[in-house]
Amino acid sequence: MQASTLQHPVPAAAAVVGPEPLIRIEGVSKRFHETIALEAVDLDIPNGEMLILLGPSGSGKTTLLRIIAGLESATEGRILLAGRDVTDLPPEQRNISMVFQDLALYPHMTAFQNIAFPLEAKRGRNKAEIRRQVEEKAAMVDIGHLLDRRIGQLSGGQRQRVALARALVREPIVFLMDEAFSSLDAILRREFRAEFKRFQRRLAVTMIHVTHDQEEAMTMGDRIVLFNRGRLVQVGSPIDLFLDPATLFVARFVGTPPMNLLRCQVTHDNGAFQMKGEEWSFPLPPPVAERIERGGKTDAALTLGIRPQHLKWRRDPWPGGSIETVVDVVEPVGTEEIVHCRLGKGEMQGLFPLRAGLREGDRAYLSFNFEHALIFDGIDDDARRLT
Amino acid sequence: MSRLPVGRWLVWAFLSVFTVLTLFPIYWAINTSFKSPVEVYAQPPTFIPRDFTTAAYRWVLDGGKAMPAFRDSAIVSLSATVLAVTIGTLAGYAFSRFGPQVGGDRLAFWLLTTRMTPPIVAALPLFFLFQDIGLVDTYQGLILAYLAFNVPLATWMMRSFFNDVPRSYEEAAYLDGYSLFRTFYRVTLPLVMPGIVATSILVWIFSWNEFLLALVLSGREISPFPPLLPTLASGYQIQWNNITALSLFAVIPPVLIIVLFRQHLVRGLSLGAVANR
Repeated sequence: MQASTLQHPVPAAAAVVGPEPLIRIEGVSKRFHETIALEAVDLDIPNGEMLILLGPSGSGKTTLLRIIAGLESATEGRILLAGRDVTDLPPEQRNISMVFQDLALYPHMTAFQNIAFPLEAKRGRNKAEIRRQVEEKAAMVDIGHLLDRRIGQLSGGQRQRVALARALVREPIVFLMDEAFSSLDAILRREFRAEFKRFQRRLAVTMIHVTHDQEEAMTMGDRIVLFNRGRLVQVGSPIDLFLDPATLFVARFVGTPPMNLLRCQVTHDNGAFQMKGEEWSFPLPPPVAERIERGGKTDAALTLGIRPQHLKWRRDPWPGGSIETVVDVVEPVGTEEIVHCRLGKGEMQGLFPLRAGLREGDRAYLSFNFEHALIFDGIDDDARRLT
Repeated sequence: MSRLPVGRWLVWAFLSVFTVLTLFPIYWAINTSFKSPVEVYAQPPTFIPRDFTTAAYRWVLDGGKAMPAFRDSAIVSLSATVLAVTIGTLAGYAFSRFGPQVGGDRLAFWLLTTRMTPPIVAALPLFFLFQDIGLVDTYQGLILAYLAFNVPLATWMMRSFFNDVPRSYEEAAYLDGYSLFRTFYRVTLPLVMPGIVATSILVWIFSWNEFLLALVLSGREISPFPPLLPTLASGYQIQWNNITALSLFAVIPPVLIIVLFRQHLVRGLSLGAVANR
């Protein structure tokens, strides 16, 4: 992965972008009293994209979604929807549809009334026409037979479908979803991810989905916007974020099992570059070493990042250097197993084919190919990628 | 309840004594209301009327003062309830949704402090005030006085019912194209209906039974039934039979209402006033 792609992340849905993005977010900031919830976010969202706002709780992703919806006002900056400045418009004039975390289905109404609710916002609509549209959307999401039920009589999955139908029944500019799957169990959640994505593709609509679940983001998103502490950290396709994390935070947050991050230092003795950790060291390949030396980062505190799937193991030391660990736990996951290895006080995780042969208590020498290694300039979340 | 038979017997014994203690005055009122004035004072007292008579009830029904008093009570209490609950609902919504902006965090407490002052503190000043502006002995005056005490209570109760309605319900309606007022009418108000019923009942019972303000602020032109009762105890004889008959009459409407709306009341006064949650 070249560093140049870092500066210009290519939107996956670039093909459908016209000259004008559907949504433009310009320098949006939000402060609550003293605390900064969101800082100077710029973002263009093309038509037809499934965009994921990802980040830990309190990172600003929901705040941005609510600002787009008009439920929260931006302290600074502008929001343009389909070319129109909506920064000061109330939510009811923005033509946006949103699925809330608690779904916000009305318990005093039936499923039918809930789905019809957005259509009744404009007075004097034809009743038969409303019925036709509600039934069409209900059939689409497979709840045609449940329309007379009250919300309290529906299961979690059925409620989710009602919420989806209510969102689909209008033709809004954009669909927003705020942790919409959080009330579902793991199996249903997976099912709905696929289903929402299918509808999004089929109807060619734009969706912005907020989640703190990186796996959900990776599976659903055309592009992911990653937030941390009110700042936009990186924008890119799931694969960009996975292979080409801009900072240590991105590397830490994206991918399961999580990336192994080891503190290290690059030293230069008589023309040979070494990467050294607490209990290990590798000779550094010349191209990597050159880049680090050019950046003046020899002897600085750095972090080495290596994905569990890129680790390889042996029972004896590797000729080119290796990290000596002791196997702690072996977790089979489908066709692979996650092997937790103790390294000093810390831990490394490897993802190996099932029944690779490592058992609890075994000594394992781990190594990797340097083309997969990521080196970060520092040890905190904001540390930028060096290679 | 305990699984031990002894424990269960103790509970039953306690509840039986409690029930007798609670119901005895009511039984005694019914008993007395069917007695003649002479038998009321009979020694030893009779537990079943010896000379069964409905004279006291006939006095209530066409005795001149009693029925007009009930009419006045009905007019004042119903008007006060409708107004207090209407104002309290709107104010409660405002305080629930925009409380920090309009009233600060301690607003709920300030609303309740109005109930901490004994009404007698306000009664006499109100009398002089009302006299100056001609509100003494009028429906409007008494209704206004009741509002002063009931609006804070209704507001405080409705505020907590509105607090139970998730914000997202309203936000979803805004995004679907509904204005603030239509959202309130279509989404929020139906959800706090049990709360409105519970609040109405409490406010109405307060106004229906209110004695002190009615005594001070009315009496000639209008007179609700509570101040009528002590007039039956003045002079040379306490008309216990008439007092009990009038009281039993007065108790019927609240009892009926509580029986009819007990589900609303229980739901409204316990947690989860929002329908079907």
